Amino acid sequence: MTSNHTPAPSHTQGGPRRAGVMTDVHRRFLQLLMTHGVLEEWDVRRLQKHCYRVHDRTAAVEELEDFINNINSVLESLYIEIKKGATEDDGRPVYALVNLATTSVSKMASDFAENELDLFRKALELIIDSETGFASSTNILNLVDQLKGKKMRKKEAEQVLQKFVQNKWLIEKEGEFTLHSRAILEMEQYIRETYPDAVKICNICHSLLIQGQSCETCGIRMHLPCVAKYFQSNSEPRCPHCNDYWPHEIPEVFDPEKEREAGTSRATKRSLRSRQH
Amino acid sequence: MPRGQKSKLRAREKRRQARCEIQALKEAQATAAAAGESPSACALSGGRSAAVTPRRPQGAASSTSADAALSGTDSDEGARSQDEGSPRSSKGSEVSHRDPLNKKVVLLVQFLLQKYQKREPISKADMLKFAIKKYRHQFNEILKRASEHMELAFGLDLKEVDPIRHCYTLVNKLDLTDGSMHEDENMPKTGLLMIVLGVIFMKGNCAPEEEVWEVLNMMGVYAERKHFIYGEPKKVITQDLVQLQYLQYRQVADSDPPRFEFLWGQRAYAETSKMRVLEFLAKIHDTVPSAFPSWYEEALRDEEERARARAAARARTAAMASARARALASSFSHPK
Repeated sequence: MTSNHTPAPSHTQGGPRRAGVMTDVHRRFLQLLMTHGVLEEWDVRRLQKHCYRVHDRTAAVEELEDFINNINSVLESLYIEIKKGATEDDGRPVYALVNLATTSVSKMASDFAENELDLFRKALELIIDSETGFASSTNILNLVDQLKGKKMRKKEAEQVLQKFVQNKWLIEKEGEFTLHSRAILEMEQYIRETYPDAVKICNICHSLLIQGQSCETCGIRMHLPCVAKYFQSNSEPRCPHCNDYWPHEIPEVFDPEKEREAGTSRATKRSLRSRQH
Repeated sequence: MPRGQKSKLRAREKRRQARCEIQALKEAQATAAAAGESPSACALSGGRSAAVTPRRPQGAASSTSADAALSGTDSDEGARSQDEGSPRSSKGSEVSHRDPLNKKVVLLVQFLLQKYQKREPISKADMLKFAIKKYRHQFNEILKRASEHMELAFGLDLKEVDPIRHCYTLVNKLDLTDGSMHEDENMPKTGLLMIVLGVIFMKGNCAPEEEVWEVLNMMGVYAERKHFIYGEPKKVITQDLVQLQYLQYRQVADSDPPRFEFLWGQRAYAETSKMRVLEFLAKIHDTVPSAFPSWYEEALRDEEERARARAAARARTAAMASARARALASSFSHPK
């Protein structure tokens, strides 16, 4: 049982970066990550271990961060990378294989028709322009007449929206839609380039912000998990920008250990959460 | 009497086609050698008139408003593409982000990955349309480089399954050829397929659905339970793998209430063999293929059949190639 140790081809070598060494363990990992679209960190770790078990049982499991950096250095010349992010509502770390430097909806392009893609774009715009990061189903469906391509009826559009949810591009919550963490990971660059004025940025991590909390005085915004981390064990939270009292409830920092302890109740939690994620 | 324009053009076209054929034949032989497939006919891209104006397809792939850095520069470099397009060696050349071919390689890789995920066959026409576009004359070089990337980074092998219609597929090197198939319940999707193929084979090449599930259940795969790797196993084996032609799923004749059975699909016959499946099963049971004498016999007969078919195909292609070469030679010596 040999793992294929192949150094990256020399034409990926740009500057001082070391070319990574890809083995079948990494390749299997990539294949599986790809099929999932987006994966939570604990699943990613399980996946990594599975790949070692299948291809190289004797090897020590590399630290996840190094493992991923290794893979990314080989993927660099392909403008693809494994990107790490976090869910906006409770800060669970997630990973996705994203295309860099390509048109945003390219990954969706082969799964959806022209009018469906346009529906997504319309929903995206509404989400970005909204105050809460959510766009109501009604508002989205009202734009159905403006879609490019084949005419779409509202009933159809409802189903297409559900397709987006199933494919993890949108999340639905009580009749309103926001972006799934997968979409944020894949499309952040596109969104920032396309809607430079409307786009919101988190004051703490400086990444794209769709859902979050905002200061009522000066208007700066923060992701919920960023709020959690920033104000952790701070009894008098104040806005980092204008120092005014921070009026919102401070969420808890995501704790993967607590998740694992939850054990059996996780199964129910996951099925509930799968509507949100 | 000097040759007219038409005849000059025709001769030029023929020469270009011949060059392209030889190149394609060489390349195809290199890649197909291991697979034992007959080398493909000439990639027709070289034969197409260069006068075709490349247009960006109006399909979904390019309907977004923001143009990426990648596709945006196409219009500038398009005019020069014919001159710059000399294939560069992928070994030892420095990183060239300005290399226009490189961008196409990147696009093609991303396109192939999408196709792989959807487990759809890949046609050359689609590759040209969605990824290669103006650079159709460098199709072979771009394809070659993209294949290298696919193999290196993802362990996926790009194979031409239909040399006439130029259809390709991506074969997972890590599963079918990897001898270290692990008898773990966490097997990748292709492991699932191999098991089902095995059950079908062992039941005389046609297996009732209940018996397939009996075996899968023993490996912790259930019809009504979501699986960590496979997702929805029932959907995978009754729909996805059927659509991809790896399996056939049909109703047992005159069954009421309706019962169903599985058979091997056309693509399973193309991409694996009874012997490989038997090897896989033997490994799972910690034994050797010959421990199952009757199936072993059948698998051996199947191997012989395949070897004969391969030899016949090779002979046919050799005959075709030499016939073509003779035709060309004669047309040069008899100018019209």
